Amino acid sequence: MNTGADMKDGADTDGTAGMDVQAAAAIMAQAHERARRELAVRRPVLFLAWGLVVLVGYGAMWLSVRGQHPFHGPTAPAIATLVGLFLLAAVMTVWFVDRATSGIGGPSTLQRGIFVLALAAGAFALVVEKNTLSYAGAGRPVVALFGAAIPLLVTGLVFVASSAINARLDWPRLALGLWLLAVAAEGAWSGPVTYLAVCALAGGGGILLMAAVEPRLRRS
Amino acid sequence: MNEDGLDPVIHVPARLRIVVTLASLRDGDDLSFTRLQDVIGLTPGNLITHLRKLEDAGYILTERTGNGTSARTSVALTHGGRAALERYTMVLRQLLDSASPH
Repeated sequence: MNTGADMKDGADTDGTAGMDVQAAAAIMAQAHERARRELAVRRPVLFLAWGLVVLVGYGAMWLSVRGQHPFHGPTAPAIATLVGLFLLAAVMTVWFVDRATSGIGGPSTLQRGIFVLALAAGAFALVVEKNTLSYAGAGRPVVALFGAAIPLLVTGLVFVASSAINARLDWPRLALGLWLLAVAAEGAWSGPVTYLAVCALAGGGGILLMAAVEPRLRRS
Repeated sequence: MNEDGLDPVIHVPARLRIVVTLASLRDGDDLSFTRLQDVIGLTPGNLITHLRKLEDAGYILTERTGNGTSARTSVALTHGGRAALERYTMVLRQLLDSASPH
C-alpha cells in the first residue's frame, strides 16, 4: 500500500499493553458509536425537515383554498411557500448526505443515486401526467387532487420499493412508505380542499412521527 | 477461557477501531484513507502500519486509484475480516460473561 504519507511515525504502534477485555469492549462500543455518528446519514433530521415541509407546505395550501366557492386551487403565495420549503429541505438533504458519505465508495453510492433518480423521475412523470389531465379537459378539483397526491404517491412507492434493497429489511422505510401511500390514496375521498389538510396532518405528521421513533425502530 | 482466545491481529486498540469502523459500512463499500484517518484519529504513518498488518492477515483490502492530486486510496473490510470481527466479538462476550459475577 502506498498512500504517499510519511512512514516514520508508524513505528511500534501496537499499544496492546493494558488492553483487557473490558477496555476492548469499551473501544468497540466507542468506535461503533463514532462510526454511526460520522458515517451514517442522520435520517431523523431529514425526516424532521421533510415532515415540516409537508406539514407547513400543504397546510399553507389548505389555508389558501379553504372556503373557496367555486374551487380555484391553491394561491400563488401558498404554492411558492411549498416550493421554497421544498428547495430548502432539498439543499439541506444534499448537504447532510454529502457530509456523512464523503469518502465512502461502493454499491451504496449507486443505490443512493438510483433512489434519488426514482424520486425525480417518478415526480416528473406524474407532473407531466397532471398536465395531460388538464389538457384533456379534467376539472380543477380533479387536477388539484392529483397534484396534491403526486409527492406522497411517489415518495411512498419509492420508500416501499427501496425498503428491501439491502440484506436487512428497512422497517422504518417500509412503514413510512405504506403510510404515505395510504394517506395519498384514502385521503382523496375527502375532496380537493380537505385533502390538503389530510396530507398536511396525516402525511407531515407521519413523517414527523417517524423522525421521533426511527432510531428505536432501527435498533429493534 | 482467557484473552489468548482473542485474535491478536484485531486485539489492538487502533486496529480494533479500524475494523469496527470498516464493519459499519455496508457490505462491499469502501472508505477513503483520508476519511478513515479522520474518523479514527491516527497519524497517516500509524494508520498505514496498522492497515498493513490487517492486510497481511487478509482482513482488509486497500486499493489505490488515480494519479497525482486525484489519487485515492480506499480501504475495505474483506469477508474474512468481517468473519474475524464476528469471532472476536463472540469470544469477547464469552470472556465478559465469565468475568461478570453471577
